[in-house]
Amino acid sequence: MAAAQDTGGEAAAGRWYDRANATFTTLVDAQHAVSSAYQFINVPMGIWVDEKGQVARPAEPAWNSDQVMKITPEKSIATEGQVYVAALRDWVRNGERSRYALSDEEFARRVKPRSPAEMEADASFKLAVWFHEKGNDQLAAKYWEHAQDLNPDDWNYSRQEWTFGKDAGQKWMEKFQKLDKPYYPPLDIRK
Amino acid sequence: MHRRHFLLSSAGAACALAAPSSNPVTVLYNDRTIKLEQSRPDPKDLWIRAADLPRINDFTLKPQGACRADMCIPVPRQFRSGAWFNLSGFAGRVHQANVHEAGVWSFGEIPVVRGEFYRSRIAPDFAVPDRKGHMVHLSDFRGRKVLVITWASW
Repeated sequence: MAAAQDTGGEAAAGRWYDRANATFTTLVDAQHAVSSAYQFINVPMGIWVDEKGQVARPAEPAWNSDQVMKITPEKSIATEGQVYVAALRDWVRNGERSRYALSDEEFARRVKPRSPAEMEADASFKLAVWFHEKGNDQLAAKYWEHAQDLNPDDWNYSRQEWTFGKDAGQKWMEKFQKLDKPYYPPLDIRK
Repeated sequence: MHRRHFLLSSAGAACALAAPSSNPVTVLYNDRTIKLEQSRPDPKDLWIRAADLPRINDFTLKPQGACRADMCIPVPRQFRSGAWFNLSGFAGRVHQANVHEAGVWSFGEIPVVRGEFYRSRIAPDFAVPDRKGHMVHLSDFRGRKVLVITWASW
C-alpha cells in the first residue's frame, strides 16, 4: 500500500501512480495521516504490518534500490534498497519466523513516544494543511513554521511547505548542508 | 430593585446561558475533520456539546469520566456544564497538545491512547482516501501482511 504524501492530492500524485502502473492500493494522503500515525519523518518510509495487525518492523527508510546521491563534495545520501527488499521478501515468505521481524524488545528500543514538542508539531502541521487547503496562506505559513520549529528533524514538514515557494531547492540545500546527522534514519537491518 | 424586575432579569440571564450557541468550530484529530455547528463561546477553552465527543475522539462521557473502550479517565467537575464539555481542558489533563486559530482546533495524539501502540504493537488505524475517493483503512487488510510506504512527488 502506497500513500502519496502530498497536499497537492491527486493532481500532484496521480501521474506518478499512472506511470508506475500501480497494482497495489494507492492512497492520496493530503493530510500526511500515515506519517502522523507511524512517526515517519521523511520520504520514502515504511512499516510492515502482519496478519494480526501488529507492526513487524516500524518506521524506517523504504527504498527499493541502492543509490549514492552526491549532494555536495562532502555530503552524500546513500540508500539501501536491495537489503530492504530482500528482507521484505523473506518476511513475506516466513512471517514471524523471519529474522527480519523484530522482537518485542527490539521494537521497544526503536519506537519511542513523541515528546511534547513533537506532539504539538504534529497538531500544528495538521492545522497548517487545513489553512492551506482553505486558501489561507498566511495562517498556513504560520503553523508550518511552528511545526518546523518544534520538530526540526521532521523533513516532511519542511519539504512539503517548500513546494509552495519558488526557492524550495535552495532552502532544502541550506538545511541539508547544516545537518550533523544522517538525512534519513539509519536502516538498521541485519544482512 | 423590585422583586419582579430582579426575577425578569434573572430569567433573562438564565435564558442566555441555556440558549445553544451557534458558534461553529472545526476540530482536527488524527485523520478526522469534525465540523461542529455549536460550541460555547469562551475566551480560552473549547467547550463542545458532550454528545459530540465520541465522533471527535471516540470518548464518551459517563458518570465515572470520559471513557473509551475499557479506559475511563476521571473528569473534573468544572469540565462539565450541563450539556457542555470542556474539550481543551480535558486535552490539557491528558497531556494532549493542541493549537488553534480562527475557529479551528487541531489536537495531537492522546498519549494514554497512543500508548496502546507502544505496548501492543497493534498498528494505529487510519482512514485515507484512495485515488477514487474511497476511504481505505489499514484495518481493511487484517488477515494479510501489509507493507505501508509513503512517497511524495517533491
